[in-house]
Amino acid sequence: MDYYGWMQLLQGAWTTAWISMVSIALGVVIGLVIALIRMAKLPIIDQILGVYVSWARATPLVTLALFIFLSFPSFGINLDKHFSAILCLTLNTSAFNAEIWRNAFLNFSSGQKEAAEALGMRRMTYFRRIMFPQMVVMSLPALVNEMSFLIKGSPAIAVIGVVDLTRVTNRIAAVTYEPLLPILCAGILYMCIIGVLIKLQQMAERKANYLAG
Amino acid sequence: MLNEKIHTGPVETPKTVQETAPVVELPVQYPKSESNAQDIVKVVNLSKQFDGIEVLRDINLTIKKGDVVSILGSSGSGKSTLLRCMNWLEQPERGSIHLGDERIGINPATRKPLKYKELAKIRERIGMVFQSFNLWPHLTVLRNVMEALLHVKKMPKVEAEKIARAQLEKVGMSHKLDSYPSMLSGGQKQRVAIARALAMEPEVLLFDEPTSALDPELVDEVLTVMQSLSKEGYTMVVVTHEMEFARNVSSQVVFLEKGILIEKCPPEKFFTHPDSPRVRQFLKLDGA
Ligand SMILES: Nc1ncnc2c1ncn2[C@@H]1O[C@H](COP(=O)(O)OP(=O)(O)OP(=O)(O)O)[C@@H](O)[C@H]1O
Ligand SMILES: [Mg+2]
Repeated sequence: MDYYGWMQLLQGAWTTAWISMVSIALGVVIGLVIALIRMAKLPIIDQILGVYVSWARATPLVTLALFIFLSFPSFGINLDKHFSAILCLTLNTSAFNAEIWRNAFLNFSSGQKEAAEALGMRRMTYFRRIMFPQMVVMSLPALVNEMSFLIKGSPAIAVIGVVDLTRVTNRIAAVTYEPLLPILCAGILYMCIIGVLIKLQQMAERKANYLAG
Repeated sequence: MLNEKIHTGPVETPKTVQETAPVVELPVQYPKSESNAQDIVKVVNLSKQFDGIEVLRDINLTIKKGDVVSILGSSGSGKSTLLRCMNWLEQPERGSIHLGDERIGINPATRKPLKYKELAKIRERIGMVFQSFNLWPHLTVLRNVMEALLHVKKMPKVEAEKIARAQLEKVGMSHKLDSYPSMLSGGQKQRVAIARALAMEPEVLLFDEPTSALDPELVDEVLTVMQSLSKEGYTMVVVTHEMEFARNVSSQVVFLEKGILIEKCPPEKFFTHPDSPRVRQFLKLDGA
């Protein structure tokens, strides 16, 4: 593998990393917003979101990516492939994250809220200062898990032409005729990216021990 | 039918500054002559239903400044519900509750429920201690007590910390300031919860079975704290099964039976010659 091959590989890694990170960040926030709206139990909106969550969780990423990439042009909208990739990953991960956040809401004891209310604390203050910090720590293992699923599932976006870390190994192999080295390197790079996430999760779990009692 | 009060302008919330005299002086501008400046909490014709079943019926109760009222009664008689109505954690269907000369939960002019922030304002003046402590597990002991001072009273941090330290000292928890609740025993948790309520300088403290979740050997440390509060002149309403506390510490004992207040008298009378046969039976006074 020559210098050009290595550069291509790193570029692929960068593409996977930034598209995943943007999708993860959007997905965590959108998931929270969906969970918040669903906790309010607004009649029709709740059902629509429920259908979305079930649909997005049941659809394979490749199918979703192709669907987005092919359906928008038929409405006369031409999507950038990177944008399509982010849209696809975000739609998918938001649905999973919404369920994780919702679980955290449902499992939260009412006692802490009553204590806050009895002290005259406002709802928003309670959410910001008491509930949300604990929800983050408690949900983080599940969220990180979902993040690593997203990264491992991200090669699906190659079907719409994004040259990600997996796809780029094909291209390198086509020139060098040695497919093993680039795919091995790609595997190691995936491990590095996910390793950072696992580290995060471990830190969160240590913090979560305080909350156990 | 309801004892509606007419309000005359905004009421000033007096605040004491000395830590040695935590009981707040009430404003003396009462609209009705029957009201007394010494009345802190007035419960008038209060009724509350759960799913169509009446759990409180026509409760009338006046709590004076410095009173320690024990609420007794068998399980399911409505003790917790009555206490929780007093700070509107439960909303009664009929009757009214007054703190000083303000009505709790309902705007007396419009007869509509108070806005949440108005309700929150009045709740600041009522402290509550729960059976299950309800400390916030992600905050240290000190932060648990400071939290409402910082984010409800909007105090500067230095001042909030000073008050929190003083209150924790009072309940004997100064040595655990930086511990998290999960590291404490039940008795210690409850003492922190008491300090958290005290820090807000409430005009009345509500306790819902504060020792029922504790191992027997930890009950006394909490009762001792409560007894010292009563000596300092705090106004307290205590739902309890601790007969010793009711007898020795409280100034009034109230007995609830199936949602009805059937006896209210000083402990001397309550424990020796109560009027109600049901209370005599409860206390096994008839030797039966
Ligand atoms: N949230 C609720 N929904 C429906 N019913 C309730 C609710 N809370 C209390 N009840 C019912 O109201 C009645 C009075 O309950 P409450 O908790 O006030 O009794 P208590 O005197 O405090 O009893 P305990 O000594 O067991 O704590 C009981 O029959 C109870 O089942
Ligand atoms: Mg109870």
